[in-house]
Amino acid sequence: MTTPPPSPPTAPRLRPAALPEIEDEPVKGPEQVTEDTDISTLTTAQVFDLNQSLLDEATGVTRPLIDEIAPISTLRAEYENGSPAFVRQIDWLTTKGYHYIRRTKGDGDCFYRSVAFAYVERMMHALNPAQAVEKGVATLKSTLPMLENVGFQRLAFEDFYDVLESLLLSIVTPQVTGKTLNAVGLLEAFQSPEVSNSIVVYLRLLTSAQIRIDPDAFAPFLFHPELGEPMEVREFCEHFVEAVNKEADHVQMTALSKVLQLNVNVAYLDGRNSNGLVDFVEFRSAPDANETPLALLYRPGHYDILVDSE
Amino acid sequence: MDARLRRVNKEIADCKNDKASGIKIELIDESPFHLKGIFPGPEGTPYAGGTFLVDIIIPESYPFQPVKMKFITKVYHPNVSSASGAICLDILKDAWSPVLTLKSTLISLQSLLCSPEPNDPQDAEVAKHFTTSKGSFEDTATYWTQIYAGGPGKKGVSTASSGDGKDEVAMAGLEKAHVDQFEALGFQRGKVIDVLRRLNYRGKNVTQISEDRVVEELLK
Repeated sequence: MTTPPPSPPTAPRLRPAALPEIEDEPVKGPEQVTEDTDISTLTTAQVFDLNQSLLDEATGVTRPLIDEIAPISTLRAEYENGSPAFVRQIDWLTTKGYHYIRRTKGDGDCFYRSVAFAYVERMMHALNPAQAVEKGVATLKSTLPMLENVGFQRLAFEDFYDVLESLLLSIVTPQVTGKTLNAVGLLEAFQSPEVSNSIVVYLRLLTSAQIRIDPDAFAPFLFHPELGEPMEVREFCEHFVEAVNKEADHVQMTALSKVLQLNVNVAYLDGRNSNGLVDFVEFRSAPDANETPLALLYRPGHYDILVDSE
Repeated sequence: MDARLRRVNKEIADCKNDKASGIKIELIDESPFHLKGIFPGPEGTPYAGGTFLVDIIIPESYPFQPVKMKFITKVYHPNVSSASGAICLDILKDAWSPVLTLKSTLISLQSLLCSPEPNDPQDAEVAKHFTTSKGSFEDTATYWTQIYAGGPGKKGVSTASSGDGKDEVAMAGLEKAHVDQFEALGFQRGKVIDVLRRLNYRGKNVTQISEDRVVEELLK
C-alpha cells in the first residue's frame, strides 16, 4: 500500500468579521505535516515518516514495501555524520553477529510486514520444510474459528487467509508456474501490494483476536498511543490494531508472537545507551523455548528485519 | 477474478441474504464499484421512520483503502454536511480497517445518527444548533426526515404549509415569531431566515443577540 502524498499546505482563510462561519468544518483527516508544523508536536512515528520521506525525496528512491537484504554498514553510513550513539550501537550489533538488515517501508505496517516476511522465510529455510509448513498451516488454520469467535465476518477475512496459506503451501507444493517458492519469489510476493498487504491485514486481525479473546491479560496495558489514556479492549483493537497503517507497540507484539507461537527478539536501537549496548526485548511463545527467535531492529517509530549470518 | 470484485460480490450477496439488518445495497449503474446503500432511520431518534440513501464508491485498492460514502438523502445532523451529504466518521478515514464491510459501515452510519458528536462536526452550523438547543435541533431533524426521507413527522403538530409543502422556517430550525418580527421591519423573508440561521438565533442565544445586531447583519 502506498502512503498518500501529503497535500499541499492550504492558504489561511479570512474569517468574516461579524458572522459565524457558514461553511462546513474542514474534514479532519490524519494530522497533516506541513512546513509550519512544530516538530515537537509530532509523534515519533511521524518524525520517522518525515525523515524517511525527506531522505527518499533527496535520493530519489521509492522504498519498496520490503527490500533486498543489505549489509548493516549501509545503515551505519546514514548515522556516521549524525549520531555517534547510534553508530556505537550498530557496531555492537555487528560484533554480536548481526551483519545484515532487510528494510521495510515506513508506512505503519512495518512491524507486521517484517514479522510476516521473517516467519515465511524461516519455514522456507527449515531443515525439513514440509514438516515446518504442515505445522505452520495447522496453526494458521486453527485461527479461522478464532477470528469468527471474536466477531469478524468470514467473508471479510478469508481472502487474506487464502493469500497467506497459499504462500506457505507454495514452499513445498509447486505453484502454477511449476516451481516452489524460493528467495526471489518470496521477495516478489512481499513487494506486491496485494499479497503483502493481505498478509499484513491477516496478521493484524490475528493480533486483535488474541487481545480480544484474552482481555484480562492485555486490558491493563491498553493505552491510547498519543494521549496515554486507558482504553477499552474493543476500542483499542479497532483503532490501533485492525486499522491500516497503525504502528505496533509492545502489546501488539506480545499478542502476535503468542497467536503465531513465535519467539521474537526486538533490538532497540535508540541511541540512549552511552556504552553502546543494545537492549533486546524478548517475546517467547514458541512451543520450544529454545527455538531461535526471529530478530527485528527497532528505531524510534520503525521496524526492520535484522539478519544474523556470517 | 480481480480480488476487489470478488470481495464486493460476496458483500452484496451477503447483504441480500441478510433480511434482519434492514440494510440494502443496490447498483446505481452497471459498475459494481458505484453502489447505493439504503437503511432505515434508527428508532427513538429524530430520524425514525425515514429511509436514508447513501452514495457508495469503492476505490481501486479496496478493501485496503476505505470505501467512500456520502448521504444522498438530506440529513440534519452535526456530523453530516447539510449541503453536500459529506460524512465525518473516523472509519471512513484513518480508522478504516479491511475487516469492515459495506454492511458494517452502513450500520456505523446508522449508529452515527443515534449518537451525534457535536465536538467533531462536519456541519458547524448544525452542530451549534445541537449544542444551543437540543429540543429545537430535534424538531428540525425530525422535520428534515419528514421532508426528505419520507418520515412521519412530529406527531400532533401540523407541519403542512402553503406552496411547495416545505416550511422554510422549520427547515432552518427557527421560530416563526422571530422571523415575522424582523420581516415586519421590511426585510425580505428569505434573507431574515438566512441571517437568523447563521447567527444561531435559537434558545438562550436569542437573549444574547441584540435586535440591532440582527438588523446590522440584515443591512449588509
